[in-house]
Parts: sequence; structure tokens; C-alpha cells
Amino acid sequence: MLQLVDFVVRNRFFLVFVLLEVLSAWMIVRNNTYWGATYFNTSNYYVAKTLAFSNSVRDYTKLDEINADLASENAHLHAQVARLSQTNPSQLPAGYVPDSAFAARFSYTVAKVVDNETNKANNVITIDKGTAHGIKPGMGVISATGVVGKVRFCSEHYSVITSILHSNFMVSSKLVRSKEIGYAKWDGKDPNLIDMIDVSKYTKVFKGDSAVTSDQNSVFPPNIMVGKVQSVAVNPNQTFYNIVLKLATDFRNLSYVYVVQNHQLVEQENLKARTIELKK
Amino acid sequence: MSLREAIQYSLMILLYLFLQIFFMRNIVLFNYAFCFIYIAAILLLPADMDRMYTLLIAFAVGFVVDVFSNTFGMHASATVLIAYLRPFLIHYQMKSRGAERAEVGIRAQGLGAFVSYIFPLILIHHSMLFLMEMNNFGMILYTLIRIGASALFTTILIILLELFSKR
Repeated sequence: MLQLVDFVVRNRFFLVFVLLEVLSAWMIVRNNTYWGATYFNTSNYYVAKTLAFSNSVRDYTKLDEINADLASENAHLHAQVARLSQTNPSQLPAGYVPDSAFAARFSYTVAKVVDNETNKANNVITIDKGTAHGIKPGMGVISATGVVGKVRFCSEHYSVITSILHSNFMVSSKLVRSKEIGYAKWDGKDPNLIDMIDVSKYTKVFKGDSAVTSDQNSVFPPNIMVGKVQSVAVNPNQTFYNIVLKLATDFRNLSYVYVVQNHQLVEQENLKARTIELKK
Repeated sequence: MSLREAIQYSLMILLYLFLQIFFMRNIVLFNYAFCFIYIAAILLLPADMDRMYTLLIAFAVGFVVDVFSNTFGMHASATVLIAYLRPFLIHYQMKSRGAERAEVGIRAQGLGAFVSYIFPLILIHHSMLFLMEMNNFGMILYTLIRIGASALFTTILIILLELFSKR
């Protein structure tokens, strides 16, 4: 027994060192625990307030670009309204009645970006709306120019968003001209470029074609801009293209975002969960 | 350690944390060179400080930076590692120079010895941090460049701050 005490006393620095390392490793691995998700990230009230203060100074210098983005979004929305009002419903298959609840399933909340990062291997964004404004983890986030990410943690007044520039985030997207569906996924290097994977090489892909969110998305509304095709390459051994997209959103200038709430998401997910249970 | 020194060093730690959280986190040169100036707070603690306190301070400082950058303990583990390795390096340097007292700082050690003290520790800290952040092995070259560039950037900034600071 005395030997044990002696050993502990002699090696106490090493033991404390190991203890602290194990503690931090545990925090990294179990980053979804209740207290980790509630207090120890930038959705913490005091942390977010501090960051908001330091961000407010920088915001003034970015007002020009924000205005330009909003103006171009307005133009885009005007065009869409015009197109929608002109579409004749005769394209729909006979007997198909559009459901108004389905058409109106998305609602939007405007939020201000409090803290933003683009240079790490896994980037997150903090915004100034939280559970008090009806925001819940899992909701999609878009900006005036395109897709931004997905809500990960919420506190009462702030939320942390997994940006599209994050290693475990993928968006189901569609190429407009070739009508091919694939996944947009970041490779962790340049914050302007994103890879599009799983696009079959037996269709033609055009350079400069736009990639938008596909209809198979439950989180994002369809036809939100993801990026433009910058380069296309074919690996002879594979059946898929290597497509690089130039992101539509400049993440470095992100100031205001919209949180998208899909009112039918729960219903859709429940239905999906039942098919998985049936398979078991 | 006298009370006056204790207050002085606490203020120094707070100052470096403030610098890190408000300024350095936004500064990235050429998308490669990051600056983690806060580790200077650990590196510049007095050399004869109790090792237990050094470890605990390192963990606390790393944890605060973690909370502000959503990294859940990556900074804490890297900072604790250098706090653990620091006394060995100081001891080794003291022996090889045959000095009587262990002291840390650009004035006490001279530029050459100071750089050979901080650079290895910064390199270890940055390697640990970036390798933990790396999510697939294909990024290894890219990560290595980042480690090298960031270690240089941090070292230069710490030296500059040391040169212009009056004790």
C-alpha cells in the first residue's frame, strides 16, 4: 500500500497529465453530451455576446456586399414570381392535385451571423436566433446567395450551424441542365470550392452549369443554389465524374442567413423510420 | 511566487486569451498560416513554477479557447501536452548551458536560446492540433504545410510581442 502511495506521489505530474488528456479526449469524442451541447460552445449566451460585439465592428465594412447580395436576391425572386405566375398547370399529370399544405411547408426565419469560420477543416457558424425563436437542431440554413448549412446546437437565443464547409455534411444536389442528382461534399481545403460526387459519367455534364438543391431534400427547399460547375474530370476506372463546384455563397462575407423550417419534416422522417423498422 | 507576480502573470494570461479570441482567430495568412498566440501564456510562465499549476492553467486556457472556437477539447489537450513537456526542455537547456537558474524570456535567455525553447513546443502543439482536426488521410500534405506555416507565424508573433513588451 505504501508503495502504491509512493508511486502516485512520485508520478503525480504524469498522472495529472494523463488525466487531463483523457478528459479532453473524452470531450472531443462525446461532443454531443447534454452539457457539451448546452454550455461549452459558441451558442453559450455569454460567449456569443462577446463574439457578437467583436463582429459588429467588422459588419460595417461589409455593408456594400450585403446590399449587393440582397439586391440580386430580389431580382432572382422577382424572376421566380413571374415564372410561377405564368406556368400553366397543364404540365402536371392528369388527376394530380397539388396539395397546398405541401406547397407551403417551408417557413423562414432571418438570423444574423454572430461568428463565422471558414479556414478550419470543420467549420461552424453561430447565429443570433435560438429555441426562443422556434429554431431546432436539424433545420436547414440558406443565405441570399445559396445553401449555408444545418443547425446543430441551440441555446435559448443562439444556435450553432454546421456549415457546408464541414467534413460530415452533404447536400443532395441536382445539375440544372443535365438533370443529374449527386451529393455536394467539401474536401476540407479551399473554402470557395466544393466537390460533387456520385454523378454518373454516362451523362453529359456542362461546364458552368448550376447545381441546386434537389427535390429529394427534406431539409432544404428545392432549387436553392449550391454552386456552378468549375471543372469536370473522369477517372477511367470509375463510373462517376469528379466534379468541382464553385460555391455560390462567399462564406467569408456571410452576414445574414435564413433558417428554413420544414413543417412536414417530422411526418416524413417518421414514415421513413417505419420502413427501417419493417426491414429489421 | 509573490502576490505581485501572481497578479502580473494572471493579467498576462488574460491578455493573451483576449488577443487570441478577439484578433488572432480572424487572422489567417494565405489560407495556411494560423496564429495561436495564446500558448505564449503557457510558454512564458516562470520556469520554476509548480508543474501541477502549469498543467491546470494550461487545461483551463485551452478549454476557454475551445469554447470560443467550438472544438471541444482539442486546444485543451494540445496545450496540456506542451505544458507537460515544457519543464523537460527547460531543464535540458539549463544543463547544456550550465546556467545556475532556469529563466524564460527573450531577455533572460537571448534570442537563439529562446527560439530553440519555444519553436519545438509550438511545433508539437500545432502538429497535435491540426492532425486531430484532419478528417481524411488525403489531406496529409496540406495539413503538414499548415502546421509548418502556422508554427513559423506563431513563433514570429511571440518573438515580436516579447521584444516590444516591457516587463
